[in-house]
Amino acid sequence: MAEILRVEELTKYFATKKGTLHAVDGVSFSVEEGKTLGIVGESGCGKSTLGRVILHLHQRTGGRIVFQGKDISDVTPAQLKELRKDMQIIFQDPYASLNPRMSIGEIIAEPLKIYKLYPSKEERQKKVREIMDVVGLAERTYSLYPHELDGGRRQRVGIARALILNPRLIVCDEPVSALDVSIQAQILNLMMELQRERNLTYLFITHNLSVVKHISDDITVMYLGQMVEKAGASEIFAHQYHPYTKALISAIPQPKYNAPDQQIILKGEITSPINVTKSCRFAPRCIYAKPECFEREPQLEEISKDHFVKCHFVREINGL
Amino acid sequence: MRRGGVGDPGAGNPTTALGIMGLVPDPPGEVLSGSVLFEGQDLLQLPEKNMREIRGGKISMIFQDPMTSLNPVMTVGEQIAEVVLLHSRMSKQEARKKAMEMLEQVGIPGGRCDDYPHQFSGGMKQRVMIAIALACSPELLIADEPTTALDVTIQAQVLELMRNLKREYGTSLILITHDLGVVAKICDKVAVVYAGEIIEYGTLEDIYTDKRHPYTIGLFDSLPDIENEAAELKVIQGMVPDPSNLPEGCKFHPRCPYAQEGCKHGRVEPVQISETHMVRCGRFRSGEV
Amino acid sequence: MKKHSMLSEIWRRFRKNHHAVVGLAVLVLFVLIAVFAEQLAPFGYDDQDASRAMIAPCMEYPFGTDNLGRDVLSRLIYGSRYSLSIGFLAVGISVLTGGFLGVIAAYYPKLDNIIMRCMDLFMAIPQMLLAMCIVTALGSSLFNLMLAVGLSSTPKFARVVRASVLATREQEFVEAARAIGAGNWRIILHHILPNSISSLIVQATLAMAGAIISASALSFLGFGIQAPMPEWGAMLSAGRKYIRTQAYLTVIPGLAIMVVVYALNVVGDGLRDCLDPRLKK
Repeated sequence: MAEILRVEELTKYFATKKGTLHAVDGVSFSVEEGKTLGIVGESGCGKSTLGRVILHLHQRTGGRIVFQGKDISDVTPAQLKELRKDMQIIFQDPYASLNPRMSIGEIIAEPLKIYKLYPSKEERQKKVREIMDVVGLAERTYSLYPHELDGGRRQRVGIARALILNPRLIVCDEPVSALDVSIQAQILNLMMELQRERNLTYLFITHNLSVVKHISDDITVMYLGQMVEKAGASEIFAHQYHPYTKALISAIPQPKYNAPDQQIILKGEITSPINVTKSCRFAPRCIYAKPECFEREPQLEEISKDHFVKCHFVREINGL
Repeated sequence: MRRGGVGDPGAGNPTTALGIMGLVPDPPGEVLSGSVLFEGQDLLQLPEKNMREIRGGKISMIFQDPMTSLNPVMTVGEQIAEVVLLHSRMSKQEARKKAMEMLEQVGIPGGRCDDYPHQFSGGMKQRVMIAIALACSPELLIADEPTTALDVTIQAQVLELMRNLKREYGTSLILITHDLGVVAKICDKVAVVYAGEIIEYGTLEDIYTDKRHPYTIGLFDSLPDIENEAAELKVIQGMVPDPSNLPEGCKFHPRCPYAQEGCKHGRVEPVQISETHMVRCGRFRSGEV
Repeated sequence: MKKHSMLSEIWRRFRKNHHAVVGLAVLVLFVLIAVFAEQLAPFGYDDQDASRAMIAPCMEYPFGTDNLGRDVLSRLIYGSRYSLSIGFLAVGISVLTGGFLGVIAAYYPKLDNIIMRCMDLFMAIPQMLLAMCIVTALGSSLFNLMLAVGLSSTPKFARVVRASVLATREQEFVEAARAIGAGNWRIILHHILPNSISSLIVQATLAMAGAIISASALSFLGFGIQAPMPEWGAMLSAGRKYIRTQAYLTVIPGLAIMVVVYALNVVGDGLRDCLDPRLKK
């Protein structure tokens, strides 16, 4: 399988009133074509910013982005426009991400108009109806407005808009978090089916661990702008080595009667990565923290094959 | 006793709770019939004045969104003290002391009493909400999606806190949520709500190990299981019905894989299938299952 | 599947709002009166006759005559030409200039400070004084009067538009448009403007009343419309002297202004609602 996207030491800082916010700090990974990389983390960990930096919706501060073998870290506006045909995004909130003044047909057709792909109106409409069929939107929704659809169908509109240019990579920013439980499964199934049919690559950003396990091949866990653990999806659920990942996975309430209660309750709250010092960013909440953790930043280390962890004492904690 | 109300948003569960609190906006809402018995008293018959005493005193409520449920221009201490002053004869000093105590109870240093809501994080605001709700030691606490807006690790903290408080004060809890995991964690009894009706009701064990209603079964099946990997998720077909335009007969029949001609008409009465377990489904009425 | 064109769809929704339809009918009526003033007016606007001065409304002169014996009805009919065109054009000028500056300021943060501080500077000058300066500089004529009135309320429009664009700009669908490769102008014209237009429409209908009044004040001060040209505002101020004895001289042009402004407001409200597909039902 060919690598489609690689990011190296990607950073994004925001200047805020209180100081520099390290939203994304030295993130590196690569994704193979047709695979899904899950990016997991809680609010404020920089996962959404990461997706937007890759798509050039935010300007990066440092690092490299390589897409389909080409360095796209710096592109001219014209190159960026071409690039966007191949890289798309599905947003979290299907209510906010569709223009309320445009009909469904207009929303889905807009990319075609921008790229002047089907100049004749009939062809364009035909193409839109085709893609609506692919994502399971009924004919009659064509002239409706977003507010007339429920969340699940709106999200299908968002997917159709992303698909119509035939992209290679789609950044999915919490695509099911805003949906009803019974609708979530429909959308996840649709996304997986589309991936198989079109050999799409997904960057699946979410805070929902059960969803990410279901859809991802590899999983990256982020905490305050940094990657703390990275491994294959089944591997990471079988063996978590980083104390944060352990707590995160144990904290998912299981919908089961008498589920064993091995929850690790973390102390404290997530802070913002403003004016960070050279230390482990998880240390203030870590139950295993030692003085060294506050003095030196750990490096991402390969613990077993393709399983990376960023923790000084990973071997000690896990008895490896 | 802790009871969980489960259902998709729009299924009518928060409105049920608002009904109990007598907070259904009127118009457009009006409680048409029925009674709400609380300690043997019908709350719907009580005049507004008496209801105000019960609200916040004996029954209190936690809302989903801690960001908007707190008044941004009052310190959290003042907001807790406000409830205390309304429901008991305390001096301002005593109320303030009580507020600090309550904050400590929910794991926030009492010294932060004079801080404003924007100085707290989401998880801490939800704790403040819980402190307000518990300030008068209510007998019943209604929590509407109390952890939905929170991160997983913070949710774990808040749930743990609610569990402990319940153990200490013996408060009853009605928890309204769409998260079956949260229900499994802290509830004793579960009512599954669909389109404004309780379609299945039983103990946690009944619902989680012996679910009978097709909707309940579908709801559980559509969750990605963290322990087992399935290639495709099972789904409930169709959409959540529009509450102003509900289907006739069994309200679930358009989405139900077992629907028969008989499901399309008439009211489906609940059937008691064991001492603790109730199901509202036509298949049980005719004794087919 | 029924296919409506955009305009017929908007009209279909507009029709459902009865107040707005009545308002629109009143406006159309006034526009027709203005267009066919020569045919409709029983007398010329400047037919003076001292012998019939100050006649109270009667059969022959339904709205009476003024101190120079001119028929008030005729003057009102001719005056609608000036008043309406001042209202529409002056506001049109402020909508265009203010709207443009507001959008640019909100969308390009680098220009925001420069544009808005200039607007603040303009706002610090009393609007009337500003308008007088503009008319003096350009010379007194009907068009310059409209320009002066329009430009002097530009800052107000710029502020309103900027605020609503700033709010719209942060919405996710704008980011979604950028992600599919839409350029700045496409984003502004297709995504931001349609979603921030409602405050502009309300502001515009309200400002039209203000424009008619300011124009009349300017006329009163001797800038712009010169006697004997009839203009509602000018008629209003001319009648002021006789308000105790011949009240109809002020009441009638006042009523005319009020009816037009009211009609404009209802139409504005209706327009705002029918442009928003969310309020369709």
